[in-house]
Amino acid sequence: MLARVANNLFWMGRYIERSEHIARYMHVNYFSSLDAPNELSRSRQFVLNSMLRMIGDPEAKENEVLNEEEVLFKLALDPAHPFSILSNVKYARENANSARDLISTDLYESINKFYHFVLKYPEQHFLKKGLYDFCINIIEMSSILRGRIRSTLLHDEVYAIIMLGVNLERANQLIRIINAKYHDALNAQGSYGDKFSKSFEWTTLLKCAESYDMMRRFYKKTPTSLTTLEFLILNPNCPRSMMNSFNQIYTHIRVLDNSFKYDKDSTAFLVGRVRAEYQYKYVEEIEGNIKEYIEAMLKNLADIGNKMENEFFHY
Amino acid sequence: MPKEDSTIFSSYQRDPSLFDEIYDKKGQVKEVYKTLFQLYGGHSIPDYMTLNEKARSSFFNQGITFQVYDDKQMQEKIFPFDLFPRIIDGKEWEIIEKGAIQRSRALNLFLWDIYHEKKILKQGVVPLELISSSENYLHQMMDVDPPGGIYNHISGTDIIKHNDGKYYVLEDNIRCPSGVSYVICNRTALKRALFGVFNHYETHTVTNYAENLLDLLESVKPHGADVPNTVVITPGMYNSAFYEHSYLAKTMGVELVEGRDLFVENDFVYMRTIKGPEKVDIIYRRIDDQFLDPLEFRADSSLGVPGLFSAYKKGNVTLANAPGTGVADDKAVYTYMPEIIKYYLDETPILNNVHTYHCSRPKELAYVLDHIHELVIKPVDEAGGYGISIGNRLTKKEIATVKKQIQEHPRKYVAQPIMSLSVHPTYIDETNSFEQRHVDLRTFTILGKDKDFVLKGGLTRVALKKGNLIVNSSQGGGSKDTWVLK
Repeated sequence: MLARVANNLFWMGRYIERSEHIARYMHVNYFSSLDAPNELSRSRQFVLNSMLRMIGDPEAKENEVLNEEEVLFKLALDPAHPFSILSNVKYARENANSARDLISTDLYESINKFYHFVLKYPEQHFLKKGLYDFCINIIEMSSILRGRIRSTLLHDEVYAIIMLGVNLERANQLIRIINAKYHDALNAQGSYGDKFSKSFEWTTLLKCAESYDMMRRFYKKTPTSLTTLEFLILNPNCPRSMMNSFNQIYTHIRVLDNSFKYDKDSTAFLVGRVRAEYQYKYVEEIEGNIKEYIEAMLKNLADIGNKMENEFFHY
Repeated sequence: MPKEDSTIFSSYQRDPSLFDEIYDKKGQVKEVYKTLFQLYGGHSIPDYMTLNEKARSSFFNQGITFQVYDDKQMQEKIFPFDLFPRIIDGKEWEIIEKGAIQRSRALNLFLWDIYHEKKILKQGVVPLELISSSENYLHQMMDVDPPGGIYNHISGTDIIKHNDGKYYVLEDNIRCPSGVSYVICNRTALKRALFGVFNHYETHTVTNYAENLLDLLESVKPHGADVPNTVVITPGMYNSAFYEHSYLAKTMGVELVEGRDLFVENDFVYMRTIKGPEKVDIIYRRIDDQFLDPLEFRADSSLGVPGLFSAYKKGNVTLANAPGTGVADDKAVYTYMPEIIKYYLDETPILNNVHTYHCSRPKELAYVLDHIHELVIKPVDEAGGYGISIGNRLTKKEIATVKKQIQEHPRKYVAQPIMSLSVHPTYIDETNSFEQRHVDLRTFTILGKDKDFVLKGGLTRVALKKGNLIVNSSQGGGSKDTWVLK
């Protein structure tokens, strides 16, 4: 596979995954805030700020009042904003275009339909009453794309590259979401006696990561900071967890580099090392130091991305 | 508003002066079209409008679009597609197929000759200045032996049906003829919208193009490449034919590369992969001669590969089509096709050539200047239907301008009698009904080492503007699915 095209496919995977996370974060937060148990979590400003934090945009300055429609537009349909869902889908399609000969017709057609759906979505409808419809469609269409990636592509290097993009991005987004909700949980403390460890925000966090139902089944208890983080970071059986993503990344990087003896400068070596680190961690270590761990995990992922770039995409 | 009970054919008007392909001499619907006519006639107008919309979204979803820029925004448009197919029966097709192969073979021998001994020029069958003054003649190709002895691996032959009911070739395209992907997409779109009609006809498939292309390309692999590695090279995803490039690469199962993905070392060509360099043996190139290699041709080309031509001359890589083929699809060379076929194959042309007047010859120039109103004037080296003047459509002032242009550069122009392209029922959006529109046909021929292939079908292009004879998509043309019956 051409190095240039590999790079494009890797980013196609990332952009697809990214748009899905933004869509889910938007609608889950917005709707869960509508009847949240405490006043702060119910406030619109709180939710809008949380959305901005998640996509890495500067939050509102003190005394600044965010405009709901502006924020929603920015995240969803703003063509000028590089992190909007529209931009992500556009980039995903552009990358798919350049690799059209390598991906299946079915996959391409789905990406194309996805793009036209977002492009044609009427702005006013979205702002006034389409939030749920829009977000749910994005989530469904990205599920279709993942299904087509899995079931209409030969599971070879092309597939491995796309899956590396998907999983690296999934891990990245998960950390961003944890980070944003961790802030929310800190901020929402105190009102109505809401404790950090038992904050309502942990439920929202799990829903944002599409893991709430799975988590309930696993613990059979109301989520706390400890169980939520354990589930989302360390549980290898939760398909959305950090650990699961690392396992996936490891599997797919071994398709590209199946050497028996590791080169210590290779991506596969780094992935193996990082994965091992999280395999033997326990949640109390993390929970006490969430901020530090979030930064460390983001750095790990960035390092893996850079290594891949140098090893495979350098052309 | 269309009435519910009127069918789409109820207002079809036949102009008796035009050759309508679906009627026979007596004015009856031809046998092969009868079933089709009935099936389509059964649709009400609203019904047909829905189908048409379906076909459109099929193209849209497949991403077979081109981009246009209006005020601010970029918009994607599809190439207009007509749901009423054109039918060519098996016997008639045989003539087209044999004729297309004959022309391709003759052109290939002609190219070998003019880049080697130049016998045909020395013997005066084709005038020397025709070649020496051609911009597309590449002196770098002199005495180069292309692998397998093939120059024009892929030819697109533009054929029309005149009002005498006979086929005439208008043009041989042997540089980078495009359009074959539309043949296949048109079939797909028609199947999606109206699969039922296929039950009544036995039509040859068009999806076997790519496998034959790969097979024939591999038959001219360079010496020493046992299992050849084939690629398609494209100018990039913003090229208007990018869809076709990616389609061909995908269906052949080979890599689609850009110039920057390739490099040359010791006269061998390599591509940059995620596992390092990989040798490339056969390149189906979709970039023009002048952009192939900045070291040999245009130095400012960023689309090509430095050193590629040198690797080619050494015989280490196959380029399809070979560089320098453009000299033979020049409109002035076209006019010598009967002589060329006779000279190399000792055969009479199977497909007719349109009689052509060369403005470079004083006698013919005088005739042209006197008869402009009944001739089509064409520049010899323009593609895409540009620069064509149709005599009976020109005002006096325009005639004067054209005359002046011809007199200034007689070598640049040829003239032909105005051919009347046959017409075919075509659905017109504005009137929600079928109307007669002019059509032509582009066939696709592949030459390999001792093998050849003609795609059974082709691109029927339609001039959508009423009365218009220019069918090129760049000038508002559409297309139809073309059925060759078994």
